[in-house]
Amino acid sequence: MLGLIEKDLRLTFARKQTLLIFFVMALIMGISMDVSFIVGYLTMLAAVISIGTISYDEYDNGFAFLMTLPFDRKTYVREKYLFCLIMSAAAWCIGAVLYFIGSTVRHGGVNLIEELPMLIAFIPVMYLSSAIMIPMQLKYGSEKSRIVLFILFGCIAVLIFAAKDFFSGIETPITELIRTIVNLSPVVVLLAIIAVCALASGVSYMLSIRIMKKKEF
Amino acid sequence: MVKVDKLVKNYDDFRLDISMEIPDGTVTGIVGKNGAGKSTTIKAILGLIKPDEGHVTINGKEASLLTGKEKESIGAALSDSGFSSYLRVEDVICILRKMYPTFDEDFFRKNCVLQGLTFDKRIKDFSTGMRAKLRVLAAVSHKSELLIMDEPTAGLDVEARNDILDMFRQYLLDNEKRSILLSSHISSVLEGLCDDIYLIHDGKIILHEDTDTILSNYAVLKINDEAYEKLDKSYILSAKREHFGYSCFTSEKQFYAENYPGIVIEKGNIDDLILMMTGGR
Repeated sequence: MLGLIEKDLRLTFARKQTLLIFFVMALIMGISMDVSFIVGYLTMLAAVISIGTISYDEYDNGFAFLMTLPFDRKTYVREKYLFCLIMSAAAWCIGAVLYFIGSTVRHGGVNLIEELPMLIAFIPVMYLSSAIMIPMQLKYGSEKSRIVLFILFGCIAVLIFAAKDFFSGIETPITELIRTIVNLSPVVVLLAIIAVCALASGVSYMLSIRIMKKKEF
Repeated sequence: MVKVDKLVKNYDDFRLDISMEIPDGTVTGIVGKNGAGKSTTIKAILGLIKPDEGHVTINGKEASLLTGKEKESIGAALSDSGFSSYLRVEDVICILRKMYPTFDEDFFRKNCVLQGLTFDKRIKDFSTGMRAKLRVLAAVSHKSELLIMDEPTAGLDVEARNDILDMFRQYLLDNEKRSILLSSHISSVLEGLCDDIYLIHDGKIILHEDTDTILSNYAVLKINDEAYEKLDKSYILSAKREHFGYSCFTSEKQFYAENYPGIVIEKGNIDDLILMMTGGR
């Protein structure tokens, strides 16, 4: 496991220049836009970069050799989920520090009690996107998984808009539920988000293990 | 140590159906034409593909179910796959150090210097020969008991090939219980290293023989049409039509030398074995 994390870290930092450009972009956007943007952007970026290590593993038929190294397929999957979490959390920490600095400079301080739950929520939400992408990348490879992802998000967007039009002006149990959620305390909402994302990540992890166990190299 | 028992793997237009054994302390070679099934056999032994039928066991355990700890005793090098080309040798050292508790860093570094592998250069900037050397070096540097090599010297010049053979010899010298399984097209690699040879053709093993026996008893007889008609073909494994008559491949050189004194007999080698056993009639 440690060897795999070492490999992924080294593969990630092999792209130092790209990472630096992304970081500078985040800083510029953070300064020009809402400062909280930087937290979400960096966390998302870290998740995408972490998943990119699967493409590196896959590139040049690298998976075949990788699987001869001393770990089993389950460990490989576990490491990918852990690596994504470590990277997202690390990027969130950097984003959070920049957010606090930016807010202090702009607004003279931060209301931690109000804003911290919203900021923390970025981690499970962004991690959820990793949890969706990892099994797809393992199943379809980096090229095909992008197409599958576009189709999937396209379908979700269509469904949301269709549902919005259909239910507008109609009182349904869903609108009632949304109203209840909005009225809940931020900490409860955060815990609910963490629980939902953890559950979805668990399902995604099980799915990834199944995909990996069936895979041939 | 390694047992391949009635392994069957089916693809659309190809079927592999083989059995073989690699005992402790031996060097076994797999030869055959492109597409004969060598790489598929090696992948099955490494647990990279799952057999449709049969079993592949390493030290009594199914290859595809080996744990990380059990895989530490195996070193592997594949012809078309290795560490990510974006990594540097220095990165590879750090990864191997974490992967294998028995990784001999001093040995690895010393041999990198000897083989001209620069620590700070990315693998993608290495030549084919340097990449092959790095793959073999990574496989032999963690005191594994078994090496599994798919075409370790493919595409290399004579010097690079000899360097890799020297690495194998050193690996074997360090512990007599170590085994190597390798596939190759190059007869000098197999003749100079292997104890026994498996010849695979169209997914089947058509010959298994000790290398010494091949080199001492096998031969190519070159005869005209008339001599061919009169020839006792009991020990002829295959015959091929030539412009002068026939080339006949035999496993009993002595028999023909004694009974047909005028016949042209050329000492057999592994190239002849592949050509005559898979291309003749």
